[in-house]
Amino acid sequence: MTQAAPTETAALLAENVHKRFGNFEVLKGISLTARAEDVISIIGASGSGKSTFLRCINFLETPDSGRIVVGGEEIRVRAGRRGLPVVSDQAALGRIRARLGMVFQGFNLWSHMTVLQNVMEGPVTVLREPKGEVRDRAMDLLAKVGIAEKHDAYPVELSGGQQQRVAIARALCMQPQVLLFDEPTSALDPELVGEVLKVMRDLAAEGRTMVVVTHEMGFAREVSSRVMFLADGRVEEESSPAELFGNPRSERCRRFLASVL
Amino acid sequence: MDLTLLAWGDAGWGDQMALGALVTLAVAICAYALGIVVGAGLAAMKLSGLPPLRWIAQAYTTVIRGIPELLVIYLVFFGGGAALRAIASGMFGYEGYVDLPIFLTGTICIGASAGAYSAEVIRGAVLVVPKGQIEAAIAVGMTRRQRFWRVLVPQVARYALPGLGNIWQFTLKDTSLISVIGLVEIMRQAAIAAGSTKEPFTFYVVAALLYLGLTSLSNRGFLRAESWANRGVRRA
Repeated sequence: MTQAAPTETAALLAENVHKRFGNFEVLKGISLTARAEDVISIIGASGSGKSTFLRCINFLETPDSGRIVVGGEEIRVRAGRRGLPVVSDQAALGRIRARLGMVFQGFNLWSHMTVLQNVMEGPVTVLREPKGEVRDRAMDLLAKVGIAEKHDAYPVELSGGQQQRVAIARALCMQPQVLLFDEPTSALDPELVGEVLKVMRDLAAEGRTMVVVTHEMGFAREVSSRVMFLADGRVEEESSPAELFGNPRSERCRRFLASVL
Repeated sequence: MDLTLLAWGDAGWGDQMALGALVTLAVAICAYALGIVVGAGLAAMKLSGLPPLRWIAQAYTTVIRGIPELLVIYLVFFGGGAALRAIASGMFGYEGYVDLPIFLTGTICIGASAGAYSAEVIRGAVLVVPKGQIEAAIAVGMTRRQRFWRVLVPQVARYALPGLGNIWQFTLKDTSLISVIGLVEIMRQAAIAAGSTKEPFTFYVVAALLYLGLTSLSNRGFLRAESWANRGVRRA
């Protein structure tokens, strides 16, 4: 296992994250440290908690306990009404979310906005940046993901792969410290997976810090700096891709890899 | 039919009927605006996690939708009038006759009903907004208020507009019920003219045409609003 980086230098730190839905404990204490330029792939069978863990990082699900630190700012949860966890500092939560760019499995582009409006919305509304500046940056990003000519289209007019590339541009336009990908290619037709993975490879190559929940073992193996294998809400194994794919230590990881490769 | 009856000015009833149409439109717009606000509030209560709020909203819609609107108007007008007189004599020692302002009373009654109906339309529209639309707004760091105005309202408008257009139509027509408490709108004005000229058919036909004009014009407006709200769903 890699040496845990000190908190101050970590772009993202998640420590001992627990989450239960009713009586079902989905996450039984998961920790993750991402230093700048790390690409961490999280793999595992469905139901292993990998998406829930990612959603706990930006509090789309509120973890029951644990702490999340992004760029030195920490969010804590406390028990609220009816024992449900709540975050007291909503403003800090907003700031942290703005620093984490999220790319969803189902794209989730705002359907009433054009492609360009989707990409500009966060920086203009949340970060209150001047429109002209944001517009230039948005157009550059759309060009970068290869979709600039569609900037006036509505999401419904785009293919899944195109929508996901717009969603990546939308996340990038916030100039986030860390990008979170929640199974970004799982909802795509097979022939469209490649164009999205290519964009993600380019992002990794330019040194973006990324946490990627994925079923794409090729991507995990070739692009990641580290791979986490989750099983039953725990980190079953975590190491470099070469080691985890080449020589998995745990039996469960070995069986999982055998079933998907 | 004697069209000179509809002359403008002292010679005929044209200007009075036109004024009646304006009053109808004014009540309808006020009642509808009130109805949307009440409906949005009720929908929020029904969707809230707090059972007491849900019960109150449910009771409200059950009662208002279960009673004829004419009766609601009578209950509010006479009940409210009695209450006002009690207050006037109890607190200020005023023993004269006090009546509720009819425009306001009518607006509130029709608005109360429009609210009960639009609550269901709005609630249904909120429920069909895909969860991912809101999650994307949360993930980008929007505050509750930003999520509400930037994402939820435009999305809800898209799904709610056809139903809300319907409610506008019957709100407009229901304003005729306020004629019973003496508001001089289209219906009341037509009845007055009919009684004074002994030409009821003429004036009720005019009233019908005025309503039809108002509803078809506003219908066109709603269709335009719908196609705007549906941008990004299908190309018009």
